[in-house]
Amino acid sequence: MTARAGVLAFLLVAVAGLAVVPLFASGYHVTFIIQVFMWMALAGSWNLISGFTGYVSFGHVAFFGVGAYTGALLITKAGWHWLPAGVAGAAPAAALALVIGYPCLRLKGPYFAIAMLGLNEVVRALVSYFEGFTGGGSGLSLPPILSIAPVYYAMGGTAAAVTLLTYRIITSQFGLRLLSIREDEVAAEVMGINTARLKLYAFLLSAAFPGIVGGFYAWYASHVEPLSVFPLLTTITMIIMCLFGGKGTVFGPVLGAGLLSVFQELVWARFLFVHQAIFGALIVGVVLLIPRGILGVLQQRYQLPRSI
Amino acid sequence: MRDSPILEVREVVKRFGGVTAVNRCSLSLAPGKIYGLIGPNGSGKTTLFNCITGVEVRDAGEIRFKGGRIDGLKPHQVARRGIGRTFQIIRVFPELTALENLLVVTRGPSEAARRRAQELLRFVTLDRLQHEYAGNLSYGQQKLLEFIRVLITDPELILLDEPAAGVNRTLLNELLAAISQLRDQGKTVLIVEHDMKVVMGLCETVFVLDYGEKIAEGPPGVIQTDERVIEAYFGR
Repeated sequence: MTARAGVLAFLLVAVAGLAVVPLFASGYHVTFIIQVFMWMALAGSWNLISGFTGYVSFGHVAFFGVGAYTGALLITKAGWHWLPAGVAGAAPAAALALVIGYPCLRLKGPYFAIAMLGLNEVVRALVSYFEGFTGGGSGLSLPPILSIAPVYYAMGGTAAAVTLLTYRIITSQFGLRLLSIREDEVAAEVMGINTARLKLYAFLLSAAFPGIVGGFYAWYASHVEPLSVFPLLTTITMIIMCLFGGKGTVFGPVLGAGLLSVFQELVWARFLFVHQAIFGALIVGVVLLIPRGILGVLQQRYQLPRSI
Repeated sequence: MRDSPILEVREVVKRFGGVTAVNRCSLSLAPGKIYGLIGPNGSGKTTLFNCITGVEVRDAGEIRFKGGRIDGLKPHQVARRGIGRTFQIIRVFPELTALENLLVVTRGPSEAARRRAQELLRFVTLDRLQHEYAGNLSYGQQKLLEFIRVLITDPELILLDEPAAGVNRTLLNELLAAISQLRDQGKTVLIVEHDMKVVMGLCETVFVLDYGEKIAEGPPGVIQTDERVIEAYFGR
């Protein structure tokens, strides 16, 4: 059996295993895995722009929040079913990415990061301001959900879709070109690569999925409000998960989201008061010791293909 | 009758704050020849390269490639017209493999591109290192990789910024042979180089810059005895 077949077999077993979890697992476990799926999708989305091109987005939660409000509004005001309402979150998130990405992706390095941070604050302020439509600071309440299994599959499907898309990108010339932007943007330009356009494409893809995740989250949480769907901490968490697992890799965000979610849950349960300090220490450790992330290190040490 | 020039730089000016890096510089390159661009440090050679390739936007003047204006185009647009370049300080993509460094810039069907990439890697004896990260290669190897990365896009005009610097003698001879070979294929080459032996051996015409101005132009033998050139290099 080749390594490739082995990986495929492992993935099939993993997916099949996860698919039957809601049939017998407790509500706690299903809820926990929904969270993990959510983080996998978010960290994987962040990876598409920041892991590949090196343009660090500090405002990615804005796309999640916009998707959450879109889903909530379509469900409560337009009477949509939650599934299409959640998927529809992709459209305004991508539209926002287009409007903001066109000018801001010209900014280099820290300037782009700061501009994105500002974007999130602006969107949150706007959402709070248009009270009549969005419910202002108190937010929107949705009907309670009766069964979480469908959300489990929807969130899992989104995480799988992001991962599959990442695989398709990394094995294409488009993916190599995104990496070349991270490596040396001027050289890429001089070699005939239209970096402005490619960055924008990556940014749109990277924004669309958090929009969908946000839409599902609105239904799942039964409530959206500015504080719960635009927290900076959400962006930071996706960044850390992606870096921990390995930026610019396919399974890095999956691994990072999985391991850190479990870690956080264990630490939180045992050390309620210092868990954030422990988590913070872990972040510092990762950045200092393995800036490439787990998969990045393994890839380089064992010369693994990029498509892992 | 002379061929119509492939590249024409007319009265180009580039300033950085109070410094005029390129001052009303004009050059004309006929197709199928190797040209040299020399001058003391800070004389504007690399800035002129940057203006031609769109990395810097010139403040005044005109640049034409095959008759069409290219000043004001973005670097990738200039590249697509058929101008390739290397950099004085190596700019390979360090965390892409040697092979990926080539595949990332190819245009057209991937199978043909892969074959061509492997052919070029063999040509500079890097085929055994094709899956190594470019950042792990030696200085000379990275230089060669950057050189073939230009070739794989098949440009008509190639700008080389100090191709010989840091390359050992054996490799250098191969590199020089490769450059001559490009000329024989009908390519035009413009080389910035400090190594006068390289310039003398390869170039048919040499342009000399000093403080951003072109102070001399001619065959290398003549240039070497030009008073202004000697003054620019050694002082009065």
